[in-house]
Amino acid sequence: MADESGSVLELQGITKRYPGIVADDRVDFDLRRGEVHALLGENGAGKSTLMNILYGLTKPDEGEILVGGKHVSFSSAKDAIESGIGMVHQHFMLIPVMTVAENIVLGVEPVRDGVLLDERGAEERVRELSQQFGLAVDPTALVSSITVGQQQRVEILKALYRGAEILILDEPTAVLTPQEAGELFAIVRSLQADGKSIIFITHKLNEVLEIADRITVLRRGKRIDTVSRQGATEEGLARMMVGREVLLRVDKAPASPTDVALEVKDLQVVDERNLEKVRGVSFTVRRGEIVAIAGVDGNGQTELVEAITGLRRIASGTVAVRGREFEGHFTPRMMIDAGIGHIPEDRHRRGLVLEFNLAENIALHDYDRPPDSKRGWLYPARLVQRAARLIKEFDIRGGGPLTLARALSGGNQQKVVVAREVARNPVALIAAQPTRGLDVGAIEYVHRRLVAERDAGRAILLVSLELDEVLSLADRILVMYEGRIVGEHAAGAGEEEIGLEMLGGRKEAA
Amino acid sequence: MTNHAQPLQETHWAFQPKAIAVAGSILGLVAFWSALPPFTVRSPLVPVLIGVLAIAAGLWAVTRGTRRLGWGAIASGVIGLGLGLLATRSSSGNLHVVFAADLVAQVFVFATPLTFGALGGMVSERSGVVNVGLEGMMLMGAFWGVYGADKGGTWVVGILAALAGGGLFALLHAYWSIHLRANQIVSGMAINFLALGVTGYFFEQLYGNQNIPSGVSTVPNVAIPGIDHMAYLGPAIGDLNLLIWVGVAFVPLSYFILFKTPIGLRVRACGEHPRAADTVGINVYAVRYAAVVVSGMLAALGGAFLSIGFGGGSFTENMTEGRGFIALAAMIFGNWRPFGAWGAALLFGFSTALAYRLPVYSSSAATLFQVLPYVLTLIAVAGVIGRSVPPAADGQPYVKQ
Amino acid sequence: MSEQATPSANVPPEQEPSTDFVVRLGVAQRAGGLVVPVLTAVLAFLAGGIVVAATGHNPLTAYRGIWDGAGFNWIFHIPWNTNTVNLDAFNLSQTLLTTTTLILVGLAVAFPFRCGLFNIGGQGQYLVGLIVANWVGVSFASWPTLPHVLLGIGAAAFAGAAWAGIAGFLKATTGAHEVISTIMLNWIAIWGGQYLFGQGGPLQNTYNTAAPESGTVVQSAHIPVFWGNPVLQGLDYGIFVAIAALVVFWLILNRTTLGYEVRAVGFNPEAAAYGGINVRRKYIQAMAISGAFAGLAGALDMLGYLFQFGVLDVQASQIGFLGIAVALLGRNTAVGTGIAAFLFGGLLYGTTRGLNPSVFDPSLAGNLTSMIQGLIVLFVGADVFVLYIWNSRRKLRPRRRAEAAAA
Repeated sequence: MADESGSVLELQGITKRYPGIVADDRVDFDLRRGEVHALLGENGAGKSTLMNILYGLTKPDEGEILVGGKHVSFSSAKDAIESGIGMVHQHFMLIPVMTVAENIVLGVEPVRDGVLLDERGAEERVRELSQQFGLAVDPTALVSSITVGQQQRVEILKALYRGAEILILDEPTAVLTPQEAGELFAIVRSLQADGKSIIFITHKLNEVLEIADRITVLRRGKRIDTVSRQGATEEGLARMMVGREVLLRVDKAPASPTDVALEVKDLQVVDERNLEKVRGVSFTVRRGEIVAIAGVDGNGQTELVEAITGLRRIASGTVAVRGREFEGHFTPRMMIDAGIGHIPEDRHRRGLVLEFNLAENIALHDYDRPPDSKRGWLYPARLVQRAARLIKEFDIRGGGPLTLARALSGGNQQKVVVAREVARNPVALIAAQPTRGLDVGAIEYVHRRLVAERDAGRAILLVSLELDEVLSLADRILVMYEGRIVGEHAAGAGEEEIGLEMLGGRKEAA
Repeated sequence: MTNHAQPLQETHWAFQPKAIAVAGSILGLVAFWSALPPFTVRSPLVPVLIGVLAIAAGLWAVTRGTRRLGWGAIASGVIGLGLGLLATRSSSGNLHVVFAADLVAQVFVFATPLTFGALGGMVSERSGVVNVGLEGMMLMGAFWGVYGADKGGTWVVGILAALAGGGLFALLHAYWSIHLRANQIVSGMAINFLALGVTGYFFEQLYGNQNIPSGVSTVPNVAIPGIDHMAYLGPAIGDLNLLIWVGVAFVPLSYFILFKTPIGLRVRACGEHPRAADTVGINVYAVRYAAVVVSGMLAALGGAFLSIGFGGGSFTENMTEGRGFIALAAMIFGNWRPFGAWGAALLFGFSTALAYRLPVYSSSAATLFQVLPYVLTLIAVAGVIGRSVPPAADGQPYVKQ
Repeated sequence: MSEQATPSANVPPEQEPSTDFVVRLGVAQRAGGLVVPVLTAVLAFLAGGIVVAATGHNPLTAYRGIWDGAGFNWIFHIPWNTNTVNLDAFNLSQTLLTTTTLILVGLAVAFPFRCGLFNIGGQGQYLVGLIVANWVGVSFASWPTLPHVLLGIGAAAFAGAAWAGIAGFLKATTGAHEVISTIMLNWIAIWGGQYLFGQGGPLQNTYNTAAPESGTVVQSAHIPVFWGNPVLQGLDYGIFVAIAALVVFWLILNRTTLGYEVRAVGFNPEAAAYGGINVRRKYIQAMAISGAFAGLAGALDMLGYLFQFGVLDVQASQIGFLGIAVALLGRNTAVGTGIAAFLFGGLLYGTTRGLNPSVFDPSLAGNLTSMIQGLIVLFVGADVFVLYIWNSRRKLRPRRRAEAAAA
């Protein structure tokens, strides 16, 4: 290791190209011993690629990596681990059917009697480590049975077990509740106190200002600047991240809600394992208003939306669209016909058939009725005509009616989904995380469109994990926690209050 | 991640639908067994009554939400009732022909290729590569095994040739599945066709229209001193082929390797979550290659048993006759576990052995036993009797970032 | 992506390597790529030729013999002699007879493939069709030809549909993987056939109880022959049924809402469900339609030229499995399946009965067919590999040019 003030890690001129895109363009980065260095950037700025290069998962096209002043070249994660680098991935690299200890020792297993896996020894050492760094977790528990926060600790332990001196935390708070995030920050500080150096990847400004010593901002694969926390402001960092002032508030007139379009009463939903995911939720959405459901991921929002749209069977309760009540088993088809439009949370998984062309994608709800088809016969030319009209109307770029959906950019793909759902003139539009993974321009487009549709007299139910989005769009805010609506607020309610409710007073031993 | 479901209210375990359903499944078997030695019930009423009871238990369980197990009990009841009826209608004299001591020996004979194949398939699939090419790899082992034993003069060379043949095709499957990321089922089926063609072609080319010359060195039998002359045990297990015992030994061996050693942990990690394995420095490709090649070698041993083990040094075109597929079925039925797979192989071996004896009094019953492995597997994959759960990443090619 | 596919943030989605085979096939279909199938066939024949050469035979002679055996040389004998006493014409008629079967068993694999299902059960469905057609053909002896044939064909198609429908039903209701269930159903059908036609079996013939064979289809259930001598096994009208099936296949997929649904489910079942499509029902329907094609194949064979089937025939029959190679080589399209079926039809007949034994040993050639079949499936499975070979050939030139420019 280098001396106290020097760099334990240096990246020089790292460049990585993918077909059609330069993910990282001559990026420089250095990490000092015992510091927390935040890597800040929007989705797609090149943060993850850079870290995958550092962790040996991806090979750079150009550039040098220096660890402790020595040139290194990683061809696999193994090399990076041997150089003392550990990574906590955004999507945990844990095997649910194995125990905590098995997950931690995987790849560097303790052995007894020459060949056998020493499970006891592994558990013992995991216990020691978790005490040393204050990372409480039961080594014998199955990973599938512990909480997300605990799983993250297992990931950190995995790195420490391998003797990591440099820890990469990739968007570590994305899956955590604010309280769990607080606990994580405490862990990070204690690791820092132990002399570990930490790279903290995020796109959240407030976190950066809370935890980082220095901040490097990436934008479109280029390093914009590295600044010290002292003197850095949210506005300044935001400008660097996006290259212009961010629209933090959407311009919109006050809502003028009219009659009830969507009414959900005592809805209960269970998942595949018979666990209650939605526990007696009731609310109404009127025409001309945007009702937003705020909450941390995994509190039943996905199941709620799937239930309302008929994609998931409900256990009890009713869903009424324009007074028409549905209960028991109802199908997506019935809800589509009743007048529900649905922008699903994952456009690749559900919103689009990527191998269908745009005309076919736009017909996804209407292919089986005139004018698209008659008595089972399909008229492809009519599909194309309509698609051509909507492509113009919704300013979808990058292709025509016969272009495969796969070939469009994320923003334009989302426009296809929005076009399809809006063009059907639904009474209620359910938008589940409608801006996830989009660039700033596309986010603005979607936001403006949602407000416009509200003003056109539709009822909008917005489900979002981004509190900012909820606060800037909603006319009413419902907070969902562990399958229940735990709070209702008018537009303009305080962030603090909502944030607290999103935690639901959940306490967890640190 | 979600927590495991807990039953909402506590009931005594014996009265839970699950227990009733399991009892129903067992009753179904009893319905059939009642007509066989040692009970040899002759009245058709007995299997019918017990069978109906099993079906009733199943229905009860189904209506109380335990669907899969309940349907399992119903199926078991129906099958048991049917087979039991058939058995009561045959004369009890014939039954002794069917159930003799050497039936045990025959069960081992039929089960051994299945054991090798099922263990092989398990190794491959535990690492995340689906192997429907077992049949082809087995066939390669059968032909090159006898060829090696013939030209090499000793069965040892035969075994080595079999391992090489099966391993080579497994390597092909591995390259296709792992590097080219081909659909593993397509690749496996291709291996089957290819093996059929290659073994048939070379059999014709090398042996023309003649058969394998007699007197080819074969894998010897193992006479166990003390047991080989005992009544019942003697004819049952006293003098079995060496490969049979090797197969039996491989069961606990593969269990220990897979579940008690670091190697096994890594193999399973590759089959469950290859990216996780990759990020801790495990070479997923290498592990999968090794697992698939071992898989092919194991299947080839099963094939070699057919030609130079029990087969006594012979070969015919398409000699394996679908045993690779029954092995696949045994692996699935055994839930991708060594002892489970072995148990299924023994069950299927028993079923086949019985089928070969049953035509004495009922060809329809014989057919029933021939198809029993397939029907049972069909039921198992349908999740009627406890669901078969493959490794999470089974069949998914791994792409390094 | 291999697991929990999360679109990586900095790689645009279209750059993600698409590993799902069905999807890849779909993309290739869209691209209208002829390269892969043609190159696949060429590579397979090349590799087969190498084996032939390595074992001391002349591959050119062998392939020439197979070509002639398939009757393909008839095409060059202008003016065409349609009298099948002419050997070439006879061979071609026999090749077309095999093609008929292969088109249908190919469609039986291709149709569910477009729905994201891999039907390995073509052989079993074919056998079920064959058995039912035999039963109908042996019974109803007093019926006139047209209704008798239609009944046989209809019943066989229905039986095939029901048989395959089991796999579809299990997939839809319990999620049982169709590959496993269709493999199991194959073997159940094979053993069932052996039982039914075997000694004492319900469908065994009544005139020679020593022979484990079925009864013979009565004259009224024979599909009329239009080319060649019926006594010498001429070409019957069944081939037009197969060609019609190709048209029906295309129409269903591209011009009906059912086809739209099937394709949507094949590409992305979740999006299909979101769009209001009942995915489970599509699985059952796709498998049933597939089974109907295979059952039809069995009926046309039984009523067209087999007329009788025995236990040994059941054991030896492999033609249903060839449907996999036909469909894959034909890229699961109507035209492709038709062409691939013709190719395999020629190969199959040209390496067996059509082959002049003095040119190349038919027992070797028959196995050569299995090899080529395996190689074709192998290469189609690795279209990436085949495309790589093609692309590296094309890339050579620009690269050289670039090097020249740099120098």
